Order: sequence, then C-alpha cells, then structure tokens
Amino acid sequence: MDADIRGAHAIQVEGLRVTFGDFVAIPNLTFIASYGEIHGVIGPNGAGKTTLLDVITGKTRPKEGTVLLDGKIDLRRLSEPQIALAGVGRKFQKPSVFEALSVRENLELALRLHTRSILAELRGWADPRRAARVAEVLDEISLNDRADVPAGILAHGQKQWLEIGMLLMQRPKLLMLDEPVAGMTEAETRHTADLVRRLRAPDRAILVIEHDMAFVEEIATRVTVLHEGTPIFAGHMRDARTDARVRDVYLGRH
Amino acid sequence: MGGGMLFRTIAISLAALTLALPILGGPLAGSGIGISPYLANIIGQIATFALLAIALDLIWGFAGVLSLGHGLFFAMGGYLIAMHMLKEGYVNAGVVPDLMTFMGWTELPGHWAFFESFPYTAALILILPGMLAFAYGWMSFRSRVSGVYFAIITQALTYVAMLLMFRNDTGFGGNNGMTGFVSLLGLQMGAPQTAVLLATASTGAALAAFLLCGQLVRSPFGRMLVAVRDDEARLRFLGYDTVWPKLAAWTLSGVIAAIAGALYVPQVGIINPRLLSPEVSIEIAVWVALGGRGTLSGAVIGAVVISALKFWLTGFAPDLWPFILSILVIVVVVGLPNGLSDLRLPGLRRMRDGR
Amino acid sequence: MLLIRLLTFLACLGASPAFAERAALSAALCAPSVAAKAEALRALAEAGALGGAAEAAWAQTLVVAVEARSFRCATGGAFIGEGDAALDAATLAPSPAPIDAAEMPINNRIRAAAASAAAALTLFTDVDPAARVEATTTLERRREALSLSILDAALAVETDASVLALLKPLRARMMLVDLAPENRIRAIEAIAADATLRNRTMISEALATEPDATVQAAGAAAMERIDRLIVIGKGLSTLYSGLSYASVLLLAALGLAIIFGLMGVINLAQGEFIMIGAYAAWFVQNAVRAVMPGLIDWYLIIALPMSFLAAALVGVVMEALVLRRLYDRPLMTLLATWAVSLLLINLVRVTIGTQNLEFHQPFYVVGGIHVVGDFIVTLNRLFAIAIAGLAFVGVVLVLRYTTFGLNMRAVAQNRAMAGAAGIDARRTDRMAIALGSGLAGLAGVALAPLYNVNPNMGTGFIVDSFMVVVLGGVGSLLGAVIASFGIGQINVIIEPLYGAVAAKVVVLLLVIAFIQRRPEGLFAPKGRR
Repeated sequence: MDADIRGAHAIQVEGLRVTFGDFVAIPNLTFIASYGEIHGVIGPNGAGKTTLLDVITGKTRPKEGTVLLDGKIDLRRLSEPQIALAGVGRKFQKPSVFEALSVRENLELALRLHTRSILAELRGWADPRRAARVAEVLDEISLNDRADVPAGILAHGQKQWLEIGMLLMQRPKLLMLDEPVAGMTEAETRHTADLVRRLRAPDRAILVIEHDMAFVEEIATRVTVLHEGTPIFAGHMRDARTDARVRDVYLGRH
Repeated sequence: MGGGMLFRTIAISLAALTLALPILGGPLAGSGIGISPYLANIIGQIATFALLAIALDLIWGFAGVLSLGHGLFFAMGGYLIAMHMLKEGYVNAGVVPDLMTFMGWTELPGHWAFFESFPYTAALILILPGMLAFAYGWMSFRSRVSGVYFAIITQALTYVAMLLMFRNDTGFGGNNGMTGFVSLLGLQMGAPQTAVLLATASTGAALAAFLLCGQLVRSPFGRMLVAVRDDEARLRFLGYDTVWPKLAAWTLSGVIAAIAGALYVPQVGIINPRLLSPEVSIEIAVWVALGGRGTLSGAVIGAVVISALKFWLTGFAPDLWPFILSILVIVVVVGLPNGLSDLRLPGLRRMRDGR
Repeated sequence: MLLIRLLTFLACLGASPAFAERAALSAALCAPSVAAKAEALRALAEAGALGGAAEAAWAQTLVVAVEARSFRCATGGAFIGEGDAALDAATLAPSPAPIDAAEMPINNRIRAAAASAAAALTLFTDVDPAARVEATTTLERRREALSLSILDAALAVETDASVLALLKPLRARMMLVDLAPENRIRAIEAIAADATLRNRTMISEALATEPDATVQAAGAAAMERIDRLIVIGKGLSTLYSGLSYASVLLLAALGLAIIFGLMGVINLAQGEFIMIGAYAAWFVQNAVRAVMPGLIDWYLIIALPMSFLAAALVGVVMEALVLRRLYDRPLMTLLATWAVSLLLINLVRVTIGTQNLEFHQPFYVVGGIHVVGDFIVTLNRLFAIAIAGLAFVGVVLVLRYTTFGLNMRAVAQNRAMAGAAGIDARRTDRMAIALGSGLAGLAGVALAPLYNVNPNMGTGFIVDSFMVVVLGGVGSLLGAVIASFGIGQINVIIEPLYGAVAAKVVVLLLVIAFIQRRPEGLFAPKGRR
C-alpha cells in the first residue's frame, strides 16, 4: 500500500449518537483510528466499546453521526456483508468459528475472491490463490499442525487465533478485536500479543477492546478510554494509568 | 470412519434395492424370495418418505432452518400428479373423475388445462413448489425472520392450505380429495407390475437424491450451509449475504419434497387435504430429528425406521401408534440430543456426512 | 199469571246490571244477520275481557257452545243444550228450552269469529301459559273478534313473559291498521322504539298498504332510524364477538407468551392444556352434581381454580420430565412439546372418549341482554370475557407486584445476570410454566359454555395463539392483548363475509406481512439476549 496512507485515518467517527429506546449508549462520540497503529479501547463495562464496534460493522444503526472508512466510504449506507468486504474485519467477543468445519475449511470460507457473487465464489473454490493464502495464514497463526481438525476440538485460545486468522484472509484495512485474550492462559496471552504485534502494518489499523491492562499496555500504540459513551482520555497507555479522571472512573467514583 | 461407512452402506442398500425390486417383484414374485406387490408398495412409500426426509434434512440439518410445513410441498407434488392422472384418464379413457360427479361439473375448470400432458405436469411439479418456496423464503430470509418464528409460520402456512383444500369450491376435490386414478404413463393403477415399477422409481429417486445431496453437502456449498447453521452472524461478517445460500437450499428442498409427493400419491392411490395437516409436517421433522439431523444417513434411517414401525403397528394395533410415537419422540429428544446418531458415535459433537 | 210475569219482570229489573247485560249479549247472538252475529261474538269477547274472571268464564262458555253447535235461539231468549237438559244462556241455570228453540246457523264467518272470540277469552280464563301462547298465536291469524280494548285488558293482567312477548307485537300490529292516522303514527313510533329487524319489517309491510301520506312519511323516518340503530347494533355485535374470541385467544396466548418469553420454549401442547382445563371443569360438574346438587349452577366458578391447578400440574410435570433437559434448544422443545400434545390427546381419547362433553348451562351463561338493534350481549361470551379480563389483571399484578413476578421479569431479560443476582432460574421457570399452563386451563373453563369440548379442541387454537405471540412480540403482555384483539376482530369481521377459512388466510398473510417490517413483533423484547 502507499506510504501516504501511513498516519491517515482508517476509521473516522464523528458526532456519533446511539440510543436504545430511552437509553443513551453513546451521546456524542468522535473517534479516529489511523493506519499503522494498534489502538486500544478500554473502559468499564457498559462504556460503549462494543456498541462502537457494532456501529462500525453495521449491526447497530446510529441516531446521528458519520462513520467513514478510509476517509471516503460511508459505512452507514452499507450492509454488514458489504462492510466486511470493504475491508473491515471484526473478531467477536465470544469466539465465533465454525465448529463443525475443519480449521482449513474455516479459513477457506473466510476468503472472498469473487466479492460480487457467491455462485462465482463457489465455482472458483479450487482457485490456487485460496489454498496459497490459507497456507500463509495458517503459518501466521501457528495452526499448521491442526489444519484438518474440526474447529470445535480446538482449545479456547486456538479458536481465538483461528478467528483472527479468518479475518486475516481478507487482508483487512481495519481489524477490530473484541476481547481477544478473554479466558486465555498466561502463555496464550503472550502468544496472542506477539501475533497482534506482528499484524501491525502501515496499511492496516488495529482496534483492540480489552480489560486486561497488561495486555493493552504491551501491544497498544495508542489508547482511548471510554466512559458512558464518551472518551475521557486519549493518548499513551502509561499516561492513562496516571490520569485522574481515568482512575476515578475505574474506581467507581463517577 | 463411522459416517462415511454408514453413508456408503445406505447408498449401496438403496442401489441394491432399486436393482433387485423389479426382479424380486417381477419374475420371482411368486417364489420364496419374491416380493409381493403389497410389500413392494410399502417399500415404495417408505422410499418416498426417505426422499422427503432428505429434503428436510438438507434445509434443517445443514442450513439450520427448521420447517414445520414441508408437508405443503409434498402435498403440492401429490396434488399435481393426481390432477394429471385424473385428467389423463378423463381425456384418453373417458373415465369421469369422482369430483366432477360430486360437484356436478360438466367439464373441468380452467386451471386443469393441459394436465393430461405428463411433461407439463412434471414441469409444474418442479416449478410451482420451487416458486412458492422461493417466494416465501425470499420474504422471510430478507427480513431475517428465522428460528422458531419461521417454523411457526411454516406451520400456519400448511394449516391454512389445508383449510383451503378442504373447501369443495376450490376445485381440488375438497375434503374427499382425489382418487380413482386410472393409469400413469401407461401403467395401470392396481396392476402388480405398476406397484413394483413405482416402488423401483421411488427407491431410485431416493438413491439419486441421497447421492446428489451427499455430494452437495460435501462441497464448498455444503460447508457454507453448515456455516450458516452454526454461526450465521459470523458468516455475514465475513462478507457473505447469507440470504442466497439459504434460499438456494430452501428452494431445492421444496422441489425435492414435491417430487417425493408426486411419487407417493400414485402408490397410495389417493390424495386428500389431511396430508397438509400440521401433524404430518411435524412427523417429517420427527423422522429427521430421531434419525439424526445433519447427517443424510440419519434422515433416511429415521424415516425408514419410524414409518416401517408405523406400518407394522397400524396393521394390528392402530390405537397404539400415537402413544408409541409420542413416547419415542420424548425419549429420543430428551435423551439423545442428536438423534440416533448419538448412539453410534458418542463424543463427536456433530456428525457430517462422508467424514 | 200476571203476577208471575210482573214478579219476573221486577226480578229482572232488580237484578244486577251484569245480568241484564248478559241477557242482552246472549240475545244478540240470535240476531238474524250473519254480520250481527259476528258482531255479537265480538261484543261477547269484549265483555268477557273487561268484565273480570267470572264474566270471562261465562262468555267463554257461550262461545264454546256456539262452536260446538249447542247454542239455541228462541223467541224468549237463548239457551245452551236441548230440551229439558238445556241451560239458560244468560244465567247458565237449568231452564228447559222451548220447542221453538232453533240451532243457531253457523257459517265460515261465524266459525272464524267464534274461534277468535274463544282465543281472546282464553287469555283471561286459562292458567296455563302455554295455552295462552297458543291463543295469542291464533289471534294473530284470526282477528275477527279482536279489539284494542281486549288486548289492553289482556296486557294489563298478563304476567308470563312468553305470552307478553307475543301480545305486545300483536297490539302494535293492530294499532298499525287503526282507522285514525294519528293512531297509526303513534303505533309506528311505539314499534320503532324497539329497533329490531323484525319491527322494521312489520312497519314496512304496513306501509305497503298505507294510503295516508303523513303516515307514510312517519313510517319512512322511523325505518331510517331503525336502520341506523341496526347498523350500530351489527357493528357492536361484531365487536362483541371479536372481543369474546379474543378473550379466549388471550388466555391461551398469554400463557404461551409467558412460557416463550421466559424460557424460549414453544409449547405446542398449549392447546391441550386448554383441553385439560375444559375436561377438569366437566369433572367438577359431575362431582358437584353428585355431592352438592343444589350448587350445580356454580360448578363453573368452582372449576376455575380447579382447572387452573389441573393444567398447571400437567405443565409442571411436563417441565420436570421433558423440558428441563432441553434448555437452549428451542427447536427440540418444539418437537418434545408436540409429542406431549399428541400423548395428551390420545390419553384423553382412550380414557374418556372422543365424544363432545355435555355441559349444564347455568343461568349466568344463558340468554343475553338486548342492547340496540339486533345486538344482544350474550351471557356466555360475557363470561369468557370476564374470565380473560380478570386473569389478565391477575397476571399483570403478579408480574408487577410480587417477588415471583420480579424474578420472572429478571430471568426473561437476562438469565445469566438474574442467576448471578441469586435468583433460582430453574425454579422461576417451573413457576412460569405452571402459570402459563394454568392460564390455558382457565381458557378451557371459559370455552366450556361456548364451544364443543372434545380431545381435539385445542388444535384449533394453537395456530392462532402462535400468531398472537409472533405478532405481539415475545414476552410483551400488552402486545399479546393488542394482537389477540386484532386477530380476534379480523377473524370475526371476515368470517361472516367470506368464511372461516378466508379469515385464517387473511390473518396469516397479515402476520407474515407485518413480520417482514418488524421481525420482533409489536413490542420487541427489552434487554440484550
């Protein structure tokens, strides 16, 4: 990808307002994630982190606000599949892989070579590019030796990596990870941190929602702290730790 | 591995049956190893049920869409072939259908036109149920109606169709239905060879569907259906508009069910609106659930075992059957979450065919 | 001789005016012309009507004699009977008839007048209401001896409702052909006061032969008024039928909604819980009849808690044996509950039989209150509506103000969190099933006076109940009410026009169309699932 893109906005959210009936989840949010960064989004439960992701992926429609991918694609006009094809990859909070299919089959399914037609996609399944990309990603997520095992048999951590792998198949511009290390062991967490760091690229923005502060500190280049749908801090993780407002919010003084 | 072997066993059995029936029911009929026309007829009916079960399993076991109204497609196929047989008998042999006498018609209404032609009827059997399935599936899948809501509405659809067909003025025989068929494609109804040939056609059709769907579910399309079943949201968010695979499977399922119905009715010699009752449609789901949904073998086994049991029991203790069926369903649903397939391979979470 | 004649004359003079009247009336029957005789019969009837019980009895004796051809006319007076056994017509005392006493000649006109007079007098002499009803019916055909004064007198003393129901319209009809136009107008107004189709027909028939223009105008105006009220009545009648159907639907669907909303369980056996409730009511009826026959009219009321408990019990058993192991598997519970429904239907079929059950109809579900036009508020439907209303209020109160209700709402919204907050979700489920099934049991009681009760009675409701739940939104009480009412009304509006099947088709199509726009139904479930 072009060198100009580095530092440009992968995702731009402005004036976002999200309500569920009477409940205001996000009152007025402006948020930016740039190419080349790993942007951590943290905050107490109910702060609106997952809602933000839901808006970007098209699962939830905002009441007001703009959501632009790559500075030009209005995500509010697209359907969920279209948003995914536009280059947004989202890992769900609960590991979501196709348990009845093998690891390899999961990855194969995750690659769209013919975005306009599912029929064309099916006809072109044997395309050598598919197998090649699968091999690449298997390597990336270190699941080579489990390639033909049903995904349901994988350990919890491995399922998370598989899901990340599935997202990688499409070389996403914006990769969003919702609690990638939830329920992982120490070793798995370190492995995941390595993986995510490796995924950093100048043509890619990575968004990570997490509660594990140590993990965020290790991988994030930048951090936004959300509270009740409003960002109360944006900057480096170590500064976040010492920020008074952040402390108050986390200790429940708000 | 279990699944693959079972699949092959069933395929071979069906093939063997298809090849053996004409011989065992034909020249060898009177001998010790022969098959009487009566038995052939029962085998034929069970084969159509197997076909119907395959149709439902395709959409439920693999795509995760439960239909409790598949009887509607089954009955459509049945009504269409019945209309053909009655019209053909009327036009070529001068046999006046009962429903005409009953309704006091001097000629058949407009929508009966061309039914004396088998190609026309066959085309309709493929097209009409397909169109209905497509229309309903399109409306529902696009609006994300799914799960229990979808199932409930399929129930309601077949129920309403039943009510409509019970009326005498819709021109389809009313609550008497249609019967008194003369012949089909030159085969005289009631003749022993006819029973054998129809049974062979049914087992052949079941075999064909079994093999074809087996190929289908092992193909990338089949894996896509499984993905839709297990985590539709995930598949959508990989860039797939899931409406299309669902719709394709749903339409195909409807057409297969209609073909099953078109094979069934000539073998029982009658069709009436009771085939559209919600209970019949639920029984189809019971075959698949009991046999093991998500495995074509399971669907076939479920259909064969339960309907064979039903045939056997209703012979001498018809009142017992509802009790046996209900208790069987409760026991299996509660004790064996994946149907009888749980008995074969405990530990494997979900079986897929051919693996 | 002269003295005897003088004494007789004086006796006659000194006798009561009634006696003199009677003599005159009897003698009038012997008038030469037929018309006079007919008139005499009429006068006789009127005298009997207005004169009191004794007079009426006497007059009737004479009329009966005329009909039986035992009336004799002589120059000295009138007699009943022949020769020495004869009675004096006026006094009914034995008085030998003179030789010249001749049979009174009868022809058809006289026969008709006599029949009419006899019927009129029966109104005053016979104690059996059935005989009086028959007499009134005769009078409608034979009005020769009838007059308004006779009818008024009869109306004044009549107490039986069935006779009055016939007398009033008869009087109205007589008024319609009164000679004076003002009276005819008054008659029309009086009839129009009770705005029914029958009365409208009466007026329009009278107008067909009406010469006077003002009366015509009054009649036309009156018919217009009646028409309007009939339309209103029809509208109300439809609304009312829809309301009663909706009530039963609500009872069934409410239970379904609670069970589905809380546990995600689609209970295909809900129709059978209704059936169990109805059968429980039948058992209660039999028990009451055997043990406390005096209270038989109250069996429906006694059955209410019994049916609730019976259905709830079966529900809890179903939950314990079957549903408990099927959580999170909605499609399997569908099959399991269907199997339960099949089992229940067949158990009842085999133990009790397939015949429709007989239910005694207590006074509070018989008949109705006439409101407007042809609209009658029938009590049996009112009973169903009342039960549904009370049950609904009860459910709302339970959900809002009891701990159990709070637990149910918590578990419905977020099962995991509720568990974390210390609510025993399983126990709540059990109680919800009990409540949901019990409500269906109540529906069974409500239905007993209305529909046929047999093992398959539940199957007719299950599809509609599901439509209610799908349309109303999962777990929404208000949605269930609105959806019930909507579906009930649509059914009732379309059925008389296009038949029951068309109604079901329309409802189904509407629900499908609606679900396209709003897949969650009217009121979406709150909270994240």
